Amino acid sequence: MFGAERTRTLLGPADPARTAAVEPPLVSARELIDRAGATDTAAGHRRVRPTRRLVLTAGTLAVAAGAVAVLQPLGEGAPDTPGEPAAAGLVLVPVAYQFDADPPAAGPQLRMLADKIKDAAYDHQSGRYMYHHTKVWGDPVMTSADGRHHVAFASETKLWQAVDGTGNQVRTQLEPQYPDQESRDYWQRESLGRPAATGTPAPSVMPLPPEELRQPSADPSELRERLKVEYGAGSASKWVGTLYGQYVVPRATRAAVLRVLADVPGFRWRGQVTDRAGRNGVAVTFDDREHDQQSLLIFDPRTGELLAHELLTLSPMRISSYEVILDAAWTNQPG
Amino acid sequence: MGVRVGPPKKRDEDWFTSLYATEYAHIVRYGLRRLIDGDAAAELAQDVFVVAWRRRVEVPDRSLPWLYGVARRLLANQWRSRRAAPDLLPITNVDLARLAGSPGADTTVGVADVRTALATLNELDQEILRLVGWEELTVSEAAKVLGCTGPTAAVRLHRARRRLADAMADRPAQTRRSPVLVTIREDL
Repeated sequence: MFGAERTRTLLGPADPARTAAVEPPLVSARELIDRAGATDTAAGHRRVRPTRRLVLTAGTLAVAAGAVAVLQPLGEGAPDTPGEPAAAGLVLVPVAYQFDADPPAAGPQLRMLADKIKDAAYDHQSGRYMYHHTKVWGDPVMTSADGRHHVAFASETKLWQAVDGTGNQVRTQLEPQYPDQESRDYWQRESLGRPAATGTPAPSVMPLPPEELRQPSADPSELRERLKVEYGAGSASKWVGTLYGQYVVPRATRAAVLRVLADVPGFRWRGQVTDRAGRNGVAVTFDDREHDQQSLLIFDPRTGELLAHELLTLSPMRISSYEVILDAAWTNQPG
Repeated sequence: MGVRVGPPKKRDEDWFTSLYATEYAHIVRYGLRRLIDGDAAAELAQDVFVVAWRRRVEVPDRSLPWLYGVARRLLANQWRSRRAAPDLLPITNVDLARLAGSPGADTTVGVADVRTALATLNELDQEILRLVGWEELTVSEAAKVLGCTGPTAAVRLHRARRRLADAMADRPAQTRRSPVLVTIREDL
């Protein structure tokens, strides 16, 4: 492009690194891979393989009903409610699936869901700001020197963002949570997992600078590109989470997302689940054997909204990260 | 851009080693243009490739713009995290005014003028000019780094060049503005 060439002609001689000699890297590619593994989601050193069980919350065992796991709700008074940190932190276990073994292909079910979804509450709202209330855990996960014990702090974020990117973000760090009881015991001994005596840290408030946000389209080809389906179901899962974490997705687009996912090879239908906020949902997963991880998407069976998404390791089966989308709305009032 | 047919190339250690060998110097130079010293640039490059390995299934075949995008987000995150600690030197753009006058820098008046003028622009203007002028990306590649559309990047480039020309013509001695890195909320 003409403008690009002129820019290079003008700026090129002023490039401070143009003639800089770059030393060979001091760290090998293998070492970087190891470094990534230290905080990565896959850590294959657990001695005890956790079974699919219920969430053990600070010594309280939630009770399952049928094939649906009952998970500790995030509602008022829950152990991980902001301002009331759990005494010792949660031990996380995988969400229980209705179809745990030999799950069917997800395509037909996703298409059926796309055909029947209804309006969400926010489909009748308007406002300048997109509001999202989310809770996130994991990525990064801190791992002990021997690679066996893991901990990460949950955080809760409220985001008000206009379509020009401006707005506010309020983030509160919550209590530590653990992928297994051994990790919890270890980090409690190390004192790192104990909540601060003063309770939950004060929320950090950050004004958001301008940023171009492109509203999601219901056009399948645009969605396929946006969700990066060309890289497979794992990539699509991640980008579905990103999409719902930033945008208030209208009904037509929600249906289109489900249809796009239906055509991505590899998704399996897990049926009814309960998410970590205690909400009923339907789930699909993708097992990425090559990278030893499973992507989980939980949708609202009525509206098709994404309720939560998670990443798990397959061997051993344990939580690597999760995000629960607690609320999404349009509003004129930024927090 | 059409959807590529077939699975992505195998993203194994050999692929990563080749990527690292091919693109490491480019990422270090990216850091040299924006950071205070070479050590910080090398550390940034290492962090970029750690992220590249963790997100290897997402790395496109034309990887350099994607890697620059990761580097930009890492810098933004570092700057954001240090912003609350005023005693720390913010991770910011390379000190162009210092470079312009340093013994090792080009001493021609033109180069110094360009660098000084560039330093007066806001961060977004500086970044698209650097990406196109120094990293030698196309406008559409720069758009990927900045997370905007190609037409938007073209408009930004046009306006940034105009403001750079104004700065060089009218206000060559203007004090450098505080850098304002655009924070990107997407997690790595």
